[in-house]
Amino acid sequence: MKRYGMSIDVDRCNGCGACMVACAVENNIPPAHQGANDRKGITWIRVYRVDNGEDFPDRRSAFVPVLCQQCGEHTPCASVCPQQAVDVDPATGIVGQMPERCLGCRYCMAACPYHARYFNWWDPAWPAGMEKTLNPDVALRMRGVVEKCNFCHGRWHAAKQRAAAAGKKDIDPADYVPACVDACPTGAIRFGDLNDSATAVAEDARKPESFRLLEKLHTDPKIYYRSKKDWVKEIASAPRPGARKESLRG
Amino acid sequence: MTTTRRDLLRFAGGAAFGAFLTPAPWRLITDTALWSENWPGIPRPARGEIRTKFTHCSLCPAGCAVRARCVGQQPVALAGVFGGLCPFGVTAHHLPYHPARLRQGPVKEAAAAVAAAIAKCGPRERVAVLDLRPGRTASWTYRRAMAGVRNGTYIAPAQPPVSVNLANARTVLSLGAPLLDGWCSPANAFAARDRFRLIQAEPVESRTASLADTWLPIRTGSEQALALSLAGALDTRDAAERTGLAERQIVDLARELKENGPALVIDCRMSQNVVALNVDLGSWGRTIVPRPEAPVPAAWKTAAPPAELAAVPDGSIRVLLIDESAPGEYLPWNEIQKKLVSGNPLVVAFACSREGYGQHAQFVLPAAAFPEVTDDLPAAVDAVAPGFRLATPLIPAPDGLVNPVDFVAGVAGLAAPDALRQRADAIHASGKGKLVTYADGKSAAVKEVKADEFWKALNAGACWTGDAAQPGRAPGRDFSPAAEAAVPALTAVAAELAIADSPLMSKVYQESNLRLGPDRVAMHPRSARECGVEDGAKATLETSAGQRRVEVMIDSGICPGVVLVAARPGFEPGQAKVVRI
Amino acid sequence: MDKEFITRGVKRCSTRQFVLWILPWFALLAFGLFSAGLCLVKGLNQTNMDNRFAFGLWIFLDLTVIALGAGAFFTGFLLYILKLHELRAVINSAVVIGLVCYSGAVAVLAVGVGQPLRFWFTFWYPNVHSMLTEVTFCITCYLTVLMIEYLPVVLKNRKLRQVPSFLVFEFELHKLIYVLAGVGTFLSFFHQGSLGGLYGVLRGRPFAFREGLAIWPSTFFLFILSAAAVGPSFIVLTTWLAEKISRKKLVRPQVLQLLGRISGLLLAFYVLAKTVDTLVWINRTSPDSGFPAVQYYSWKPFGTWILFAEIVVFGLIPAMILLAPRLRARSGWLVSAAALACCGVGLNRFVQTVQTLALPTLSFDKFLSYYPSWQEVGTFLAVVAFGVLVYSFSFRYFQLFPEERELQMEVVQEQEKEQLEMAGRF
Repeated sequence: MKRYGMSIDVDRCNGCGACMVACAVENNIPPAHQGANDRKGITWIRVYRVDNGEDFPDRRSAFVPVLCQQCGEHTPCASVCPQQAVDVDPATGIVGQMPERCLGCRYCMAACPYHARYFNWWDPAWPAGMEKTLNPDVALRMRGVVEKCNFCHGRWHAAKQRAAAAGKKDIDPADYVPACVDACPTGAIRFGDLNDSATAVAEDARKPESFRLLEKLHTDPKIYYRSKKDWVKEIASAPRPGARKESLRG
Repeated sequence: MTTTRRDLLRFAGGAAFGAFLTPAPWRLITDTALWSENWPGIPRPARGEIRTKFTHCSLCPAGCAVRARCVGQQPVALAGVFGGLCPFGVTAHHLPYHPARLRQGPVKEAAAAVAAAIAKCGPRERVAVLDLRPGRTASWTYRRAMAGVRNGTYIAPAQPPVSVNLANARTVLSLGAPLLDGWCSPANAFAARDRFRLIQAEPVESRTASLADTWLPIRTGSEQALALSLAGALDTRDAAERTGLAERQIVDLARELKENGPALVIDCRMSQNVVALNVDLGSWGRTIVPRPEAPVPAAWKTAAPPAELAAVPDGSIRVLLIDESAPGEYLPWNEIQKKLVSGNPLVVAFACSREGYGQHAQFVLPAAAFPEVTDDLPAAVDAVAPGFRLATPLIPAPDGLVNPVDFVAGVAGLAAPDALRQRADAIHASGKGKLVTYADGKSAAVKEVKADEFWKALNAGACWTGDAAQPGRAPGRDFSPAAEAAVPALTAVAAELAIADSPLMSKVYQESNLRLGPDRVAMHPRSARECGVEDGAKATLETSAGQRRVEVMIDSGICPGVVLVAARPGFEPGQAKVVRI
Repeated sequence: MDKEFITRGVKRCSTRQFVLWILPWFALLAFGLFSAGLCLVKGLNQTNMDNRFAFGLWIFLDLTVIALGAGAFFTGFLLYILKLHELRAVINSAVVIGLVCYSGAVAVLAVGVGQPLRFWFTFWYPNVHSMLTEVTFCITCYLTVLMIEYLPVVLKNRKLRQVPSFLVFEFELHKLIYVLAGVGTFLSFFHQGSLGGLYGVLRGRPFAFREGLAIWPSTFFLFILSAAAVGPSFIVLTTWLAEKISRKKLVRPQVLQLLGRISGLLLAFYVLAKTVDTLVWINRTSPDSGFPAVQYYSWKPFGTWILFAEIVVFGLIPAMILLAPRLRARSGWLVSAAALACCGVGLNRFVQTVQTLALPTLSFDKFLSYYPSWQEVGTFLAVVAFGVLVYSFSFRYFQLFPEERELQMEVVQEQEKEQLEMAGRF
């Protein structure tokens, strides 16, 4: 039984956004419609900029990639979907979304405290010719359905096929790496099986500077963030009005 | 016995009931769910054999090695061979399909116009090629062509005279260079990151500044003053005044650079003062080395030397051919315009879109975009040994495009169809260095590889690395004084790197505000108040590059008096105005 | 012109006047249908909802309108199960209101989901853990019940009852009325509760999350209570409106006062329950999630005034008015209190939907604002217009108020008596 998770070193993320676009390339996410903004776009992984609330020149920022936290316990979105379009896979721990089952009621989006779910407000459209660059391993979604990160489930399937073709039961960890992890130039994002204590991810999760977002909600997320800066660790807790001096970008 | 209607009805009823006990109707019902997910108008990804191809990304001189996952012949995903790519590199395979991409142009008319203009050239007038990415084999071809044309001039932006060796550095001072955000190959920068302490000096808390060990918030335009002061060529008190730092900070910084060596000081273009400071710190041969270049065929040495734009006499260029297809640095148009003749100069731009010099040229001819064309990459700023890398086409270029090198060579009557092959042969003939092939990760000495195999390997994804030359004698410590210019009320400073944008870059612009898009500017709340704008307000931005409509974003990490703008072709930092609409 | 369709013994305005009345509502309905059509054809990008505000005006409308339409089931429960016979005077009107509210809600839901053609997935792949599955099942069943309850009202039309089979059908159906009322009560109990449960189970939204009994959060019970409390008030309001617009006496004042008293009683009970629940939430539930409750009310413009308004201004005050017999007897006080109670339930639904989504959950989020687009407002107005039209037609052609004829006769007798007296004087 695997529990795939990630560890993200916030002190190493430079906010370049390579993960965001690599995810869009892998998962056939369309470019923004003209009317889209940061509240209507689709960014399965989104890098936020957080800061320590000080004014220039004492302002310090950090970049936090937020994606589906793959909640393990009381998965908020799975229990609320009226059509069972959300499925928690016991073999991998991945919370999968079935866009072909989705009615588009968006109850799961209201339920998710991490805002990791995105609705297709428009039909997907690519500039002429750009559809040639679509990934054949991932199905396209049309408007009116919710989608979210699934740890590049298509790559997991491909890894399983490769293992099966080689006659092995278990997949080779090197074969299954989500697109964002692959693309990150700083190596800030690591991926692996949290149940295997030897993996880098499991080790990172045990470090004292590791934390998860909104732990008190008892959603048991599988994304572990870590930072040596105290003010960064505060992002894990509930918002406090007045703690931030201005609206944040990212 | 006769069959009545009732019998038939009973049979039909029983059959219907029985059918519901079979899987058939239930499967049909669930299958309708599948029909509801594929409406017409939703594209279907093409299927085909999955292949891997290798190339180098030619969007910027870093030239990261790229592994392309292809479906049939079509690349669908790009990844770095030695680490991650920047977001522009990840989406580079979309560029051929960008809506603003040029596909057609008046090639014949342009060629005729150029020939006519050259014929009409006066004695003091010249024909010039402006090469925005010098240091390539194509650049040599342009230089050779200009050598063959009467009054031919080859103009290129000044290249950094040195390369940096990040692997050797223990302390790095960056004067505004985005070291951790695209100044060099991201994979190289982060591979070396844990070995050096980074001090970032710039007026904005950029991405690099946020990851640096120390951020020194200096005022705009004071980088040179800081460099001079660290070298002892400027009084610390003066420098403190100009940069806005405390004297103590500058003294501590100077001490750290001396005691925690090898030190490396960089700025965006490795200016003269910065090179001199490095020499002063004893970094010559350790963290900075002369810029290397791969061997060239001996016959090419008669090519015209590169000239800087400032050195060209005003009003002397009659025909200007601009190769914008492989951009590096854009020179400001008004500087270029000064050098053109006053009456009917002819400007032809080879570009992928009209957004660069196409706005000012008489003819804009469509050039191939990455990854449609073979080109080599100049030495990267962090290449300590000579290298030769090819960007090879992953898809065929569409019809109707022009190869600027062929065009210019044709103008000069120079036959140079396989300059790249000649270059490769010259490199092979030198017998030095090694060839690393990406497909198998093997490294072979050049001596053990035949010339044809060498060429084939380079085209299939490989790089040649020569032997690092001896650094030789260090250049003299020539400092040029930093003029104290009046600081305008609002200075526009370029944010982050902005290379060619795939439509998918909307993820980091429009859909998340992570990077500054072309229609946004960022400023400190105080500056915004002074300009009469607030977060989200629509305004007009006026800079040396012109005017445009923008949306304002507030950011406390920006020095008051500075407005951060997305770098676009021709932008120069300088005075700016933001006026609310 | 259409006199044969109008119930004998009651007066209705001329056909021309009626047409003038319904014409603007038809226009509004047409505009609303156009707005809804745009959303169906072009997609939900026509609205101002976004990934943070996944629910907006429509869900608020749905919840409010279903709470207000609770009068249908509750009046049925009071009349047929608890045998409060005075309420026979308003049961038909209540059924029409219920039908209008529920059918409007279902129509808006159909427009508000991304893939309306997949509505049957909830029935085919139901998720027993989801409150929304429960809501869908119960609302569709209850809508069916309401349509069945509406049939007798329709079939009793003066012209239609001339068809013998209709009369027989209506008579037989009436025998089932107690079963229908019981089923209606049961279904309504569950779906009113589940609508509250929709938000109470949201562990990821500590502003809305509540502890409760077994799988049901406290909002489950609070919603049932508030719906039951406000249903009669809404009937008071609509009956008063109908009387004012038609300029006729439709029910005896005692009926409205009875409804007011029931509403007041339940409202008082609700205010008590809500206060206890709020205290538990502020002191235990919310802090346990890591969200101190005081911070919710520090985001402008939602200060503590909204909590005060919901519980005191729109809860306690109308409850006290409705429980005071002398105030209840005066129509002005009664109707105002009923209106306040209805606003209170609207405010409560607003707080549960809009405020919940506006408040940030992540520390680097900001407070979000939302206002509906004209397409959303148009669709909302279509429901209102639809309601007014159905009610107007029902009022004109069906016997919504059984006591109306008696009251009309009493009025006529009064007038005749006066005339005789006047004649006697001369």
